[in-house]
Amino acid sequence: MFVDFFYLLRDSGIPVTPTSFLKLHEALKSGLVKGLDDFYSAARTILVKSERYFDMYDQLFAHFFRGAELPDFTGVELEATARALLEEWLKDPEALANALGMTQEQLKSMSPDELIKYFLDRLKEQTEAHHGGSRWIGTRGTSPVGHSGFHPGGMRVGGRSMNKSAVKVAMERRYRDYSLEAPLTQAQIGEALKRLRRLVPVGPKDRLNIDETIRATTKNAGEIEIVFDRSLRDRLKVILMIDNGGWSMDPYVEIVQLLFNYARAQFKDLKTFFFHNTIYDFVWEDPPRRYKAQRVQEFATWDPESRLIIVGDASMAPYELMATDGSIHIEERSGLPSIDRLNFLRQMFRHSVWLNPTPLHLWPVTRTIGVIANIFPMFELTLDGLDRAVASLMQKN
Amino acid sequence: MSGLENGGAFTGAAKYVLDEELAKIVNISMALEMPLLLKGEPGTGKTMLAHAIAESLQMPLIVLNVKSSLKLVDALYQYDTLTRLNDSRFGDSSRDVSNIEEYIKMGKIGQAFVAERKTVLLIDEIDKADTDFQDDMLDVLDQMEFDIIEIDKTIKARHRPVIIITSNAKKDLSDPFLGRCNFHHIAFPDPDMMRRIVRVHFPDIDNELLDSCVRTFYELRELHGIEKKPATRELINWVRALRLDPDFRPKELVHGKIPFLGILFKKSPDYQQALQQIRRRR
Repeated sequence: MFVDFFYLLRDSGIPVTPTSFLKLHEALKSGLVKGLDDFYSAARTILVKSERYFDMYDQLFAHFFRGAELPDFTGVELEATARALLEEWLKDPEALANALGMTQEQLKSMSPDELIKYFLDRLKEQTEAHHGGSRWIGTRGTSPVGHSGFHPGGMRVGGRSMNKSAVKVAMERRYRDYSLEAPLTQAQIGEALKRLRRLVPVGPKDRLNIDETIRATTKNAGEIEIVFDRSLRDRLKVILMIDNGGWSMDPYVEIVQLLFNYARAQFKDLKTFFFHNTIYDFVWEDPPRRYKAQRVQEFATWDPESRLIIVGDASMAPYELMATDGSIHIEERSGLPSIDRLNFLRQMFRHSVWLNPTPLHLWPVTRTIGVIANIFPMFELTLDGLDRAVASLMQKN
Repeated sequence: MSGLENGGAFTGAAKYVLDEELAKIVNISMALEMPLLLKGEPGTGKTMLAHAIAESLQMPLIVLNVKSSLKLVDALYQYDTLTRLNDSRFGDSSRDVSNIEEYIKMGKIGQAFVAERKTVLLIDEIDKADTDFQDDMLDVLDQMEFDIIEIDKTIKARHRPVIIITSNAKKDLSDPFLGRCNFHHIAFPDPDMMRRIVRVHFPDIDNELLDSCVRTFYELRELHGIEKKPATRELINWVRALRLDPDFRPKELVHGKIPFLGILFKKSPDYQQALQQIRRRR
């Protein structure tokens, strides 16, 4: 039963295991699954073990049990706006039927797919915006707001109705935000960074060391001698350098801020510095890069076991990286090109990575990205990239 | 199936607003006798669910709060060596020093195993522990038994507890772990659901206050650069505070005047950030 569905999930990249499939059958036998709606919940809770696959599951479920189009086919991927608009109107099927110029009966007979397709076709027909009219769909149309209305044969509509059908719930793609392609969130960053840890004994001696206690006590002729140890704590030193200058970093400010905020909360021993485009003689402790300068050379005296994370788009004019007077700030022209400074930092800190918010497929377009990626292991600033960056930072050698 | 035989299926408790889908999932997990892993951002009621299940099935609830330093054996049992050492030294207790069993105390999982009746075992925030702990713990929960090596005794579960595991992390737990659990992700409640949740806590709340509070709450969640967004718990405390304030009028919220902001934003940078953005908006 449902073997095809199982393989569909598997082939589409959801990690489902045969064991869990057998569990699902057990659930089906238990008599608790009384229909497709129950099956939707049961199969998801048993087979799919991460909310990142919920969206994919929804799409596959809809495809399998209703023949909805699969996303990787050339079908119409409905724009979020179009869908929102459609849903707004679906709150009142009658108004929609009127708007689409058909009867409610005709509307009933259409599957959600046909409906969306029809809707999209109509959208294409319409060449100019049309607001407030009675026949076609505009943003300021007179949609009567009937809450929790229900389109008889079509999609489930807004509100929290209890008689929803699973296929239609699946069609809603409620879990889109959690899918793999969604941008990083704070918790995800936290989770990725959490593995950056180095535990060393510190603090007061408050852990009982039983073996030592026994040894000391017997040595002491049975007079009790209790031995305590220090407990293990995280003592990882992290240096974060953030490119906060230049328009090229602007689109990524928010995501970098997120990373920074989280890092600040997570690591007790965190030093943050800022730079513009690339690193010359100085980095700055203050974001405006004006007051608290830190000589790059002085990093030689820092703990070489510190983890250095540089965040920047690594995109600049090649001379900024290569020329001896590449810096736009005159006082920074000490005669060493930026590339030497970067090499120096890499030598000082063997555990170092460069996180680049530029999407991976754009990297080949910019020459300096390639140059810098030769110096530092460079990773994309995504959940996946962050994961790999952390793995690289925690390598033993 | 014993959960169902005992007292019927789980349908929700007095202070917990349950969505239908989640009820199904809980019942299926109980029927399959599998632990249910709940994920979702803080404030979506993961922990409350375990309390609600315990309440509605009238089973005792045992909570294991996971900490990063927790070792599996601590969750199973503790061998109180210090007391034994002390007793053997001074010999003034009623315990029999030669009987190690008298110095074994059950941990939370152990308690659930030896309990007289079926219990709900909540393992809260599993993601705080390391992967080894998680896998080893599932071994124990799978086999429903563990050994106390000091006395060479195997403790078997008398009744298989209903196991609820929560995790805040957005990242996946290890594969073997996930393989043995059922999984559900609780999304943050939408405004409609939130209204119902608030109403459960304040049955006599008037609509104007409820609507404006919930609307403001969701607006505040949209602010930028907030580290810890206010969640359900904060909203409920905030509503409670607003109701106690005799000078408060719901209209003030509409005009962007938000009292007791500190209840919603508990970290000082967040508080400052929120204050600034609200001012700018006004």
